[in-house]
Amino acid sequence: MRDRLEEGVRKSRADYTEIRVERTWASSVSFRGRRLETATASEDVGGCVRVLSRGRGWGVAAFTSLDHLPAMIDRAHELSQAIVLDEPIRLADIAPVTAEALLDLDGDVRGVSLAEKTRLIEAYNGEMLAVGGAITDTIANYHDEVTEYWFVNSEGTALHELRPEITLSGTALARKNGTIEKGLESIGLRKGWKSAQHAGAGFRQAAERAAQLLAAPTVRGGTYPVVLDPEMAGVFIHEAFGHLSEADFVYENPQAREMMTLGRRFGRPVLNVGDNGAAAGLRGTMPYDDEGVPTQDSTLIKDGILVGRLHSRETAARMGERPTGNARAISFRHPPIVRMTNTYIGNGHGTFQDLIKDIKLGVYACSAFGGQTMLESFSFTAAYGHMIRDGQVAEMVKDVVLAGNLFETLDQIERIAGDFQWNQIGGGCGKAGQSPLPVTEGAPHVRIERALVGGEVG
Amino acid sequence: MIPAALEALKKSADAGDACWQRSERTTIAFESGRLKSAAVVEESGLNVRVVKGGKVGVAGTTAADRPPAEVITRALASAELGEPLALEFPSSRVYPPVSTHSARAAGASTAALADLGRGLVERLLRPDAQINVTVEREVEETSVGNTAGAGGSYLATGVSVSADVTRVAENDVLMVYDYYVGTDLPQPAALDAIVESITRRLELALTVTSSPGGSLPVVFSPMGLSAILLPLEEALSGKTLVQGISPLQGRLGEPVFGAELSLVDDPTLADRPGSYPFDDEGVAAARLPLIERGVPRGFVHDLETAARLGKGHRSTGHGHRGVFGKPRLGYSNLIVGPEPRGPSRVTLGGGLLDGIAEGLLIDDLIGVGQGNIIGGAFSHPVALAYRIEKGEVTGRVKDAAVAGNVYDLLKRIGGWGNDGRWVGARWSSSLRLEGVSVAGR
Repeated sequence: MRDRLEEGVRKSRADYTEIRVERTWASSVSFRGRRLETATASEDVGGCVRVLSRGRGWGVAAFTSLDHLPAMIDRAHELSQAIVLDEPIRLADIAPVTAEALLDLDGDVRGVSLAEKTRLIEAYNGEMLAVGGAITDTIANYHDEVTEYWFVNSEGTALHELRPEITLSGTALARKNGTIEKGLESIGLRKGWKSAQHAGAGFRQAAERAAQLLAAPTVRGGTYPVVLDPEMAGVFIHEAFGHLSEADFVYENPQAREMMTLGRRFGRPVLNVGDNGAAAGLRGTMPYDDEGVPTQDSTLIKDGILVGRLHSRETAARMGERPTGNARAISFRHPPIVRMTNTYIGNGHGTFQDLIKDIKLGVYACSAFGGQTMLESFSFTAAYGHMIRDGQVAEMVKDVVLAGNLFETLDQIERIAGDFQWNQIGGGCGKAGQSPLPVTEGAPHVRIERALVGGEVG
Repeated sequence: MIPAALEALKKSADAGDACWQRSERTTIAFESGRLKSAAVVEESGLNVRVVKGGKVGVAGTTAADRPPAEVITRALASAELGEPLALEFPSSRVYPPVSTHSARAAGASTAALADLGRGLVERLLRPDAQINVTVEREVEETSVGNTAGAGGSYLATGVSVSADVTRVAENDVLMVYDYYVGTDLPQPAALDAIVESITRRLELALTVTSSPGGSLPVVFSPMGLSAILLPLEEALSGKTLVQGISPLQGRLGEPVFGAELSLVDDPTLADRPGSYPFDDEGVAAARLPLIERGVPRGFVHDLETAARLGKGHRSTGHGHRGVFGKPRLGYSNLIVGPEPRGPSRVTLGGGLLDGIAEGLLIDDLIGVGQGNIIGGAFSHPVALAYRIEKGEVTGRVKDAAVAGNVYDLLKRIGGWGNDGRWVGARWSSSLRLEGVSVAGR
């Protein structure tokens, strides 16, 4: 394959040419209640050619028929030539690299039968159903992938990788008198079959939580000191800050650039934020990004000050900064764009108990159901919460929705515990029609001085 | 591709069907007003479903370099694990004529698509904002066949032109967008509508004002209506019915909503990208009334939900398929409220603001699709909303949230606007609802 791609790159008429080819074997099993919804295996094959010439735009051609490769290289060149630019696109320099980067498959899922995978997720689904009582329905999903990946460009980079991925998720629905509550379990790793074993306890807890939520009161809306658990804090930093640190948001936009000027204070000195695509075994981990740039640990906020951002080669060149290995494509169907990998809030000091001991009345928001950011406004839903009363975790509450303004809320982060952990949850990130991209987040417990918590509004 | 797949299928399975899709999508993207990239995606893939020993299995592939027998073997492995399901494959090849293809759109050159985008950029250009415009054109061929004899093939085109304008001023980020979707390239009037809609909403948003609070009349624009319609779309889905969680179960024929609410799904509309002569399971397309004057009349089904519910239930032709996974149930074109009639006006509020002393106009909400949708309750911060005072828009409201339950709110509909339009595959005008809970801060 590598020879075929290198030959294609050599014959290309463009100044810069890159070719990505992927072959993905995937299998999915899903249960709804006791019923098997699907158990299926699929194969997805294709490539993407991206070319650039001096004074011209990007030409991109993606395809599922590998036989069309030479024609698609021409096609990409024609598209590129059709775009005349007065201000040329430049790419930041990177050293060419040749690598066989075969990530540890951790038990190759391709050697495991669909029946075995079905038995595994059926057992986890059974853990949820076994809770019984108010648990009226469950959803349990298993998904795995192994992607064989080739990347070759005209600067001499040639990569061959094997990328594994495994995700498990469970939803337990509890129902009583017309009220429905749910509990979620989610696991997502850039690993294989072995790491999917012995995960039953989390599924059982999700179901138990759904049942407990039926009895939990809705949180009373208002402004509180709020403590986020590591999962919620991680999702918050990804959604509310991470997207603004993607350089394609600012590089062509003078006003946004001003808003995201390096050196600007974004939080108190306790706040440190970064993105690390090179961390081992996490969902957003890869040795190289989809432009062949090595991934790295990039500091974004240091001691409360904005010090960095995430780049592709194009945004880095344009802003006079260094590429960070954050150009990613969800599949061969798309060109790479600036994306996060494993985004984190850096560790602080002390324990969770230290964090809450002087809170008279507050909210402890746990485990994220989801979140959305519209530029500087955000809304996040916690899976569940607890009231904090007189320095102690008190009763469980439901419908904990955090909403607010990003800048104000970041500035309200006053204390960060020393209990950092990476989330190992599934799901993914969406941007510009490319979703779900495997990413994860990490954080310790984080205390926000004041934040608006809306349960039921009004 | 389909005959070969069916041939192989008959040899190893009791019954089955296959769907083959081939598409070519061209995308021209203007980033911050500049054309910087042009992309084309050529894709084809085969999705196969088999029935063996009464059990159903499915598999998909884009690997054109492998024989079809391979994907069928995988589908059979899938069927071994499956539970028995009496799928009833359609046998009729009689389909309604539906116009889904525009030769003009299919033949448009990359340069013509780029000109279309450039024209829009030039008209939206303003010194205080960034403009992104994307023009996309897709040509798709869909072929479906099954062992019971139904099947066919058709060509479709889809064109979308979207524009967003982002204005950053200190810590205030304002984004206003709109888009056109059709089978043909947009007529000049459709582009005028995008320009007018974005400009007007942006101008009115430049003034930021505080939010009113309380139980108020709220006007949802056609784009802002998603949060209200999502619970209905879930409740009217055969899938929800199979799960036994639809609030509309057993309530067909009852006046559940105000008489002003009607909802129709129509895959046979000419020249809409959501249209098709038959669905991806080979079932003929037909117009399907879902709610008539406040009374639920039916649910959408595909072959699986119809089979699971058993006697008396048939697919309504709403099976959608991708290359991977099993068919999923979905809507085609949803027509909400009064039927489309004549060209309507681009007005903010659709003429519904008169007589509102204090209220809100919602154009976009944050977090739609999160939370407990099936129960009908919603609670969302606003993304783009305007304050209404004495029948006039007086500025943009930033920190506000709206909440309510659509099953209560849709009992007292305050009226539909005169600004009916397509938002993707949904037609509606603005909707005024009374007594929506509005929280300002």
